[in-house]
Amino acid sequence: MKKRILLFLTAAFIGQLGMAQQIKFSEYNLKNGLHVILHEDHSTPIVAVTVLYHVGSKNEQVGRTGMAHFFEHLLFEGSDNIGRGEYAKYVENAGGGLNANTSQDRTFYYDLLPSNQLELGLWLESERMMHAKVEKEGIETQREVVKEEKRQRYDNQPYGNLFPETLKRAYKNNTYAWAPIGSLDDLNAAKDQDFVDFYHTYYVPNNAVLSIAGDFNPDQIKKLIDSYFGEIPRGKDIVRPTFKEEPKGEVRDVIKVKDQLPLLVQAYRIPAQGTNEFYAVDMLNTLLSNGESSRLNKSIVDEQELAMYCGAFTFNLEDPGLTLAFAMANMGVETNNLETAINAEVEKLKTTPITDGEYQKLRNQIESDFISRNSSMAGIAESLANYYTYYGETNLINTEIDRYMKVTKEDMMKAAKTYYTPENRVTIYFEHDPSLLKQ
Amino acid sequence: MKKYISSICALMIAVAGMAQKVDRSKAPAAGPAPKIQIGSYQNFTMDNGLKVIVVENHKLPNVSYSLQLEIDPIKEGEKAGYVSFAGDMMSKGTTTRSKDEITSSIDFIGAQFSSGSDGIFGACLTKHSEKMLEIFSDVLLQPSFPETELEKAKKKTISGLISEKTDPNSISSKIGNMVTYGKNHPYGEQMTEETVKNITREDIVNYYNNYFKPNIAYLIIVGDITMETAKAQANKYFASWTRGDVPKMKFRAPKLPGGNEVVFVPMPGAVQSVINITYPIDLIPTTQDALVASVLNNILGGSGFQTRLMQNLREDKAYTYGAYSDIAADDYVGNFSAGASVRNEVTDSSITQIMFEISKLTTEAVDDKTLQIVKNIMTGQFARSLERPQTVARFAKNIDKYGLPKNFYETYLERLNAVTSMDILTLAKRVLLPNNAYITVVGNKEIESKITAFDADGKILKFNPDGSVFVDMRPAPADVTTQVVFNNYIQAVGGKDKIAKIKSFEQKGKFDVGMAKLDMQSVCIANTALRMVVSMNGNAMMTQTWDGTKMQISQMGQSMEAGEAEILQAKIQSDLLAELHYADFGIQSQLKGIEVVNGADMYVIENIYANGLVSTDYFDVKTGLRMKTITVQKVGETAQTSETTIVSYGETKDGIKYPSVVKQNAGGQMVEITISEFNLNPKVKKKDFKI
Repeated sequence: MKKRILLFLTAAFIGQLGMAQQIKFSEYNLKNGLHVILHEDHSTPIVAVTVLYHVGSKNEQVGRTGMAHFFEHLLFEGSDNIGRGEYAKYVENAGGGLNANTSQDRTFYYDLLPSNQLELGLWLESERMMHAKVEKEGIETQREVVKEEKRQRYDNQPYGNLFPETLKRAYKNNTYAWAPIGSLDDLNAAKDQDFVDFYHTYYVPNNAVLSIAGDFNPDQIKKLIDSYFGEIPRGKDIVRPTFKEEPKGEVRDVIKVKDQLPLLVQAYRIPAQGTNEFYAVDMLNTLLSNGESSRLNKSIVDEQELAMYCGAFTFNLEDPGLTLAFAMANMGVETNNLETAINAEVEKLKTTPITDGEYQKLRNQIESDFISRNSSMAGIAESLANYYTYYGETNLINTEIDRYMKVTKEDMMKAAKTYYTPENRVTIYFEHDPSLLKQ
Repeated sequence: MKKYISSICALMIAVAGMAQKVDRSKAPAAGPAPKIQIGSYQNFTMDNGLKVIVVENHKLPNVSYSLQLEIDPIKEGEKAGYVSFAGDMMSKGTTTRSKDEITSSIDFIGAQFSSGSDGIFGACLTKHSEKMLEIFSDVLLQPSFPETELEKAKKKTISGLISEKTDPNSISSKIGNMVTYGKNHPYGEQMTEETVKNITREDIVNYYNNYFKPNIAYLIIVGDITMETAKAQANKYFASWTRGDVPKMKFRAPKLPGGNEVVFVPMPGAVQSVINITYPIDLIPTTQDALVASVLNNILGGSGFQTRLMQNLREDKAYTYGAYSDIAADDYVGNFSAGASVRNEVTDSSITQIMFEISKLTTEAVDDKTLQIVKNIMTGQFARSLERPQTVARFAKNIDKYGLPKNFYETYLERLNAVTSMDILTLAKRVLLPNNAYITVVGNKEIESKITAFDADGKILKFNPDGSVFVDMRPAPADVTTQVVFNNYIQAVGGKDKIAKIKSFEQKGKFDVGMAKLDMQSVCIANTALRMVVSMNGNAMMTQTWDGTKMQISQMGQSMEAGEAEILQAKIQSDLLAELHYADFGIQSQLKGIEVVNGADMYVIENIYANGLVSTDYFDVKTGLRMKTITVQKVGETAQTSETTIVSYGETKDGIKYPSVVKQNAGGQMVEITISEFNLNPKVKKKDFKI
């Protein structure tokens, strides 16, 4: 269990940093363990009521993949006091918008409401936490809807299973081996009792963060929150999966697709988000692919004309994640030529120090991105909840940039040497197979 | 122990007592509605005609500059793509900066920067704004369009066209535009490998020289900036941009299809069908009609979970992850679209449901409750959109561009609230056209026969993913003619001599129509008479008798005389060598070519009857056997299609082959017929067929 800094009923005041406007917030715990974060802003009469549950696909078991995401769909079905399918009606009829999403690490629900409907949001979210009701008809309908979601977002898309296929090869010992969408077979196999157990285990106040941003009355909101959420009983402590070492050794594979241009994926296992090494890796990715002057864009796409697209991303996870580079070849370019060229760029990271000018560019890019991020109430509420959940330090919404600024050129080279190694890598060639184009 | 528990109870009661008890059984009442305040903007026009709009917002220390040109759509013809190339190429080098200098300067300050055919966009931290504007104005005023960059862009674009071929969503929108606006309209013409290759540097330079003029442009500045700075920057970076006359274009409005037109793009291996029902409409932005259309669309399939399409196709039937519609207003020609991605099996059902929802809105006025809900939703959307300062900038531009009253958006909610259900019904009748739509489907070939029925004339349009016409067929070898295919068939089912000796035959079998199981018995004297009886549990349900001249159909105790078309069919059925006598029946047959069906090569023969019926036969190239027949009969404006697939052939001990398992799909109804007995030359006499 990570040690958390809790500021009970105390507003956190934040020191100055650069020119960025500080995001002010207060946070406290209810007796049942629900963590509450409040950010007050009266510039637009709207309020974002959000709840983050610290459960995602990594809490699933083999044979029941996709459960956390499927469950997210089911939690729009209703509660003891909210009829089937009425969640959306309440929010939309009040002039609001709502949705949710599920990642490897957490499930996030949000209601964006006119500020005079704050209490409606509290009622809906407390009902979801306290009284969720899932009926057979709802389960069967949403099972089919989720299957269509998978077909639409993965199976029927070009290179659609790139991400799940990469995860499968990158993780052998951990529950990061599958994407939150899971498998259709597992969705079919899920029993009604599985949902009941899932709800009672994870949808408890001590596993949730209520994060509210926008136009509310600070004197009243705490009382209201207490009224709606205070009576929800605390659940058992959550048993979280512990991360197990992954075997060393490169995983290479060729996957045949009907898409015509070859696509190369290279993934390297990296440390968990929030670690010093993680920030160094994230800066390496900025160096490789942020902007047209970035190394992969300049070398692979522009100068060598090997790819029509090439990018590198940090896939940040609570436990050790991945950095993912992928390139879609220009016509007539073979996958192995792409791989050689990308490897050459990766090798440079390990052997040649970056120039002062390039280093300054990275810092400027990160500063600009960081400052421009917090522009909406919904985004701020989500960031606050994430920082608290993953790092136990909500104020990172203002200060995480310091961690980036501490990264030196040497740290970056060291991270490249440590993590960008062949034995730590998954390489996949997606190659065209004309027989898949037969009707 | 007991004491301990009771003290916990006491504690819990105490805790609960502290909080105000809420009534959870119903939704809490809303507080007083907040005032929706639209932020302010300032604007001025420069001497060169450039209109500048400034929205100050100091929340974050950043600022964006968006230059937007108002250019009429341009028909590019055989050089389709050059307009977008021109926009892209502007930032690939200027007379004073190389491309590398541009990209590295932009990235160094962490800015976002892009150029397009109708404008340039840049955003950065306020402290870097001067540096960014230097590059911005350089790109705008002195682009050099290096030839090498054009070649690079062509290569990437052609690769992009190749990769698009397996992306069902981009294909759907491309084909949708192509049919909606027509290939000769700027909105409908398509970039292809050929047109990209035709583009020259001169085309691009001409475009830039003709259209990049300040007198047709808006510069929209939003963010952490004062009016004073904005004016100074506009003068410093944009004052030297010179005016010029810009060509104006006019286009004929695209025509609506006369009836529903199914447009199909076969996608091998697709596990979903991307459905898009679309057609052009006349709807100008910011008009009252556009507002009513937006209300209408929010009822049908705008955003959120409560729209009719979403409730019907997702929440009720689980056909899809999401179903949406759009009624898009446009200065030149707008369009309607509605669709969803659905699993293959429910493609036709989904089209039926989407059409049902569209039609319903043209005949039934929406009730007050629905209307109020949609108004609430739209009021909320409007209020939330004001969180972004860009919204106010957009309002300012529209007020100027369309000559709207200054308080146009202040009165938006009043106008919205005044919309009545009659307004909606009236507009729905004008813009919802469920009988004049293109029904585009990108999906697996297996769904083709199911969607054909939605086409008014039964002749669907088929395209390849790149927009070229799909040809199922390849030509048959020169020495294969219609007669050869028919002769091969006759040979395959027993040979002309053996068949000619058959005097009569009878068959018995079962119909499987989903729920019901029916018995079928038929008997025939070659070229003379025919009878078929369908019965359930021994009771005849339908009898068809042809006595050689007349034909009678009895159904549920009712008898009627059959028409000429049925008699013709009976004659053909009783002629075991009918294929050799088609001309005598008034049928014209033509070998269209070879098509692959379920992995096997088939000769395709189209038979056109004198009465207009068209039946298409598929003969297996290897075995010579007929495997499938598709029949299309026009009935008024619509067409009835039926498809008969021969799953297997049986063989008598004399070596005569007959279809033993047949699947028939007529109007969405599937029937499977299994023949259990087939006897040659049973003893029957003509008088047995007396009507």
